[in-house]
Amino acid sequence: MQTVDIANLSRNYGSRRGICNINLTIAEGEIFGFLGPNGSGKSTTIRVLMGLLKAGSGTARIFGKDCWNDGPAIRREVGYVAGDVRLYPWLTVRLALSMLSKIRGMRDLRASGIKLADSFRVEPDLPFRKMSRGNRQKVALLLALAHSPKLIVLDEPTSGLDPLMQDTLMTCLRELATRGHTVMISSHTISEVETLCDHIAIVRDGRIVEDSTIKRLQAQAPRQVVVTLRADQPLEALQWPNDLLVCYLPRKNGEPFKSRTTTPVPTSCQDRTCILELIGSSASFIAWAAAQNFDDIMIGPPSLEMLFRPYYESHQESE
Amino acid sequence: MLGLLQKIWVEVRWPVLFFSVGLSAIMSLLTALLPKVLGNIDSMFDKMPMIRPLLTALLGVDPGQQVSAQLSQAFLWVHPTVLTLVWAHEVMYCSRMPAGEVDRGTADFLLCLPVSRWKLFLAETVGWLVSGTCIIVCGYMGHLLTSLTVQPEMRLSVLHSLIVIVNLGAVYLAVGSFSFLISTLCNRRGRAIGIVFTVLLASFLLNFLAQFQDWAKLISRWLSVMEYYRPAIIIQTGDFPWFDIGALTTISVLMWIASGLVFRNRSICTF
Repeated sequence: MQTVDIANLSRNYGSRRGICNINLTIAEGEIFGFLGPNGSGKSTTIRVLMGLLKAGSGTARIFGKDCWNDGPAIRREVGYVAGDVRLYPWLTVRLALSMLSKIRGMRDLRASGIKLADSFRVEPDLPFRKMSRGNRQKVALLLALAHSPKLIVLDEPTSGLDPLMQDTLMTCLRELATRGHTVMISSHTISEVETLCDHIAIVRDGRIVEDSTIKRLQAQAPRQVVVTLRADQPLEALQWPNDLLVCYLPRKNGEPFKSRTTTPVPTSCQDRTCILELIGSSASFIAWAAAQNFDDIMIGPPSLEMLFRPYYESHQESE
Repeated sequence: MLGLLQKIWVEVRWPVLFFSVGLSAIMSLLTALLPKVLGNIDSMFDKMPMIRPLLTALLGVDPGQQVSAQLSQAFLWVHPTVLTLVWAHEVMYCSRMPAGEVDRGTADFLLCLPVSRWKLFLAETVGWLVSGTCIIVCGYMGHLLTSLTVQPEMRLSVLHSLIVIVNLGAVYLAVGSFSFLISTLCNRRGRAIGIVFTVLLASFLLNFLAQFQDWAKLISRWLSVMEYYRPAIIIQTGDFPWFDIGALTTISVLMWIASGLVFRNRSICTF
């Protein structure tokens, strides 16, 4: 059975666009990444799943139950952190755990919660109003994880967290996934999703534009290739293979010949460095490059960032 | 439910204490002072004729040329300070959820707890009823204790004052359930409080205008909350105001159910 099952889900905010015909499934034990630019519909989808918003049309189910009508039963097994974490100013971790134990009708959550607070380095008796933004995020995370939920829904959970804490969270989520818990994480950070998730979807303008596994996407993802020409090697004589996308070529008449890359090229190498994207297999490229006798070649790993950047760029252009 | 009540307790204990002590002190003060002040009301009627319709509007009956010592105690229950304290508490309380929660962004946390919205609403209702009872009882105790110090002929009978308390309780229910209804329709707590206070003020104004204008009298008969709360008549006749209390309670129940239904079926959006 799928943990999350969304079919033809649409939701508008009056005349404003929300989401349109979203179809999505998340299997049990999967770490699912939900990517997309700001305002693309990630949070709206999550809010429908959490029963905060009523679906305009279509269905949203968790554990086979309807998210709007069976909300309490679903939320018993779900841990959720909103994108913009706001908690009661007077709330401390200890008090929140005591309240949540009673509300969830579970065993005392204080032991597991305080253990998490230790690993997240949060003071359990400090009121929320006195905490920094990062610590507030940590409190929201530990309250979402304390009852060891079957599904964890995190809306941009690493915002405000320091890199070490981000690592701790990622480790924690991976451990939970290996124990069969399902994780749904919305993020802007492609590298974060790439290292953590098994399955991702990209939403843009309220529609899913990509839904695939990381392995399949990595097979499609281009690799960045940096070629350094020999000093005596004329650029014009090169016949680039068809599976290479030229991003940057050396200067010609004082101006870059072509530039589509964000990678900075050192000034000393600007006259001899070419940056390319390799879309096909690296084996055929290596064979071709060996025949060219370049000064240096560097082939990077497949990058989802390069694959997804066009989705974000075209979104920004349309805005 | 216990966890939700714990949350409500942490949030409202100090305001409830403040309003309880405040109402107790005000009612105690008014119980001691009103008979003395209103003893000279006849001369004030001559000097300032506007006072009489104002008092008539407040009391719901014409005080006549002379205000009896017992009738003067009726002012205690309709004194603007008393009503303001009781209503301020409940308007503030009843606008906490969902308008207040949405306004401060905590609705996400609260509504994602594994409880139904009806249960959340029920917990808020329990808190509202308990805190209201606490405040009104404290106010009544202040009045009761101070009345022991005034002359016996100036004291209200306990039975009459208890009937007035029940009527005030029914007003409390009506105003609170109306506040809940407005709160469930708003995303801003300030807006919800503003609407409720405007309606209450309009109700007061209508009641006053009804002394001079026939059209206002016609509307006031149905819409003014003060038409259903007349302590002076209770004190004068000793009759239990079945109709007034029944009307207020029915309206309260209907508005409470409407609030629950709106809250249950409303999409909550904090962004």
